[in-house]
Amino acid sequence: MSLQVFFLLAFGGAAVWFGIVVFLTHSMVRSALALLFSQTAIGAMFLVMQAEFLGVLQIMMMATEMSIMAIFMVMFMMDPGGLGEMDMKHQRKTSLAAGLVAFFGALAVAVFADWGPLATDIPDAGEQVRLLGFELLGRSMLIFESAGLTILTAMIAATALAVQARERGAKA
Amino acid sequence: MSAVLLILALTVGVYAVAVLEDWASHNRLRLLGPVISTLALLGQESVLHRKNDRLFFETAPILLLVGALLSLAIIPLAPGLIVTDLATGALFFNAALAYVLVALIMAGWGPDGAYGMIGGWRFLGQLIAYAMLVVMPITTVAMRAESLSTITIVESQAQLWNIVYQPLGFVLFAIAGMAMAFVPPFDLPNAEGELAGGVEAEYTGVRRMVFRLGRMVLILSVASATTVFYLGGWLGPWLPDWAWSAIKILAVTALMLAGGRMLPRVREGTLLAWAWKLGIPLALVNIFLVGVLVLVVPL
Repeated sequence: MSLQVFFLLAFGGAAVWFGIVVFLTHSMVRSALALLFSQTAIGAMFLVMQAEFLGVLQIMMMATEMSIMAIFMVMFMMDPGGLGEMDMKHQRKTSLAAGLVAFFGALAVAVFADWGPLATDIPDAGEQVRLLGFELLGRSMLIFESAGLTILTAMIAATALAVQARERGAKA
Repeated sequence: MSAVLLILALTVGVYAVAVLEDWASHNRLRLLGPVISTLALLGQESVLHRKNDRLFFETAPILLLVGALLSLAIIPLAPGLIVTDLATGALFFNAALAYVLVALIMAGWGPDGAYGMIGGWRFLGQLIAYAMLVVMPITTVAMRAESLSTITIVESQAQLWNIVYQPLGFVLFAIAGMAMAFVPPFDLPNAEGELAGGVEAEYTGVRRMVFRLGRMVLILSVASATTVFYLGGWLGPWLPDWAWSAIKILAVTALMLAGGRMLPRVREGTLLAWAWKLGIPLALVNIFLVGVLVLVVPL
């Protein structure tokens, strides 16, 4: 087993373990940060697989995103510190079944899909950044631009809703 | 050999930042100040709160230190004097420093104290103000160098430093960098006199020492990045390369700490409003201007 495979397995295991911790803890902040470290481990997996740009990007984006999620969870949940031992699991049987189906589905795709020949000559990190740039501004431009526009619309809508709610509260 | 030199440079740099911070806050230049503070903190009792979140409380200072140290890994002090020249260096700097936020949230939440908690969550608000203003000026620096590698970025400034080529980007990055290192007037998370130390309030003894050390490395890292991105890194006449890096980094640190001290602390609402209503449009203008410059006057 090469060093690369060893680290891939180690970070993969860490990602799964932190994913499980999300549901084991009662504290909202612990739960959000466990999800963050799960995502960071996935970023580290990208780095091990020599996809440097994707790895660094994943590690950077998740830190801020999950922290923002943490503050929303603290604001909206009734027991953010978990001192009341609120259960993180809801509709236990249904979610367990859904999780298992999704897991085996993904596993089946991983095992049975035809992944084509194994890449042998991997472009160096600088070349990868260049190729990714051409991809984003070339063939995939429409997809990324529509995704960006959708997110922007959602942001504006969310802000508008938040502002209205505050004004309604102020009147009452 | 270069590993020893880098560790030496880091130690001297952090010590110098600690002396400069002491000088900027108390107006006294005490060269032995950091040694005395370290000994005092080592002798102090490490108090642990009731009902704390032990995991976060213990992890936070270490995470702050590790994040700041990692961000220094891509800073070149001279050609060849760098921990690792990543092809994604400029992006990696951001990725490492994103964990400063996580560390401060942990430090605020961990000890179960009101001041700390307010300080930690405040820094999240501060991040929403400064994050884009760090990334967008770095984009234009990378546009000119046509690379994210920090060595290529310094080399791209051989004819003209970026502070002259893209002054608007420099101003935005310097302000956002100060907010990132939470030095005054952006010291919202630990606002002394208002939050009694905020995120640091509940830390004592060795834990506080690690926290303070992490903070010093963070300030050093932001000053080094400003030097590399805008002040031509090691470039300069007569003196050896490393000397230019050292002079520039310490000068930026001194200006950052002394200049910030003269200004009143910015409220987070005001900071957010300025950042989003003024800062981000200016950063977009900067991207456009530099884009035109790179095509028309490729220096």
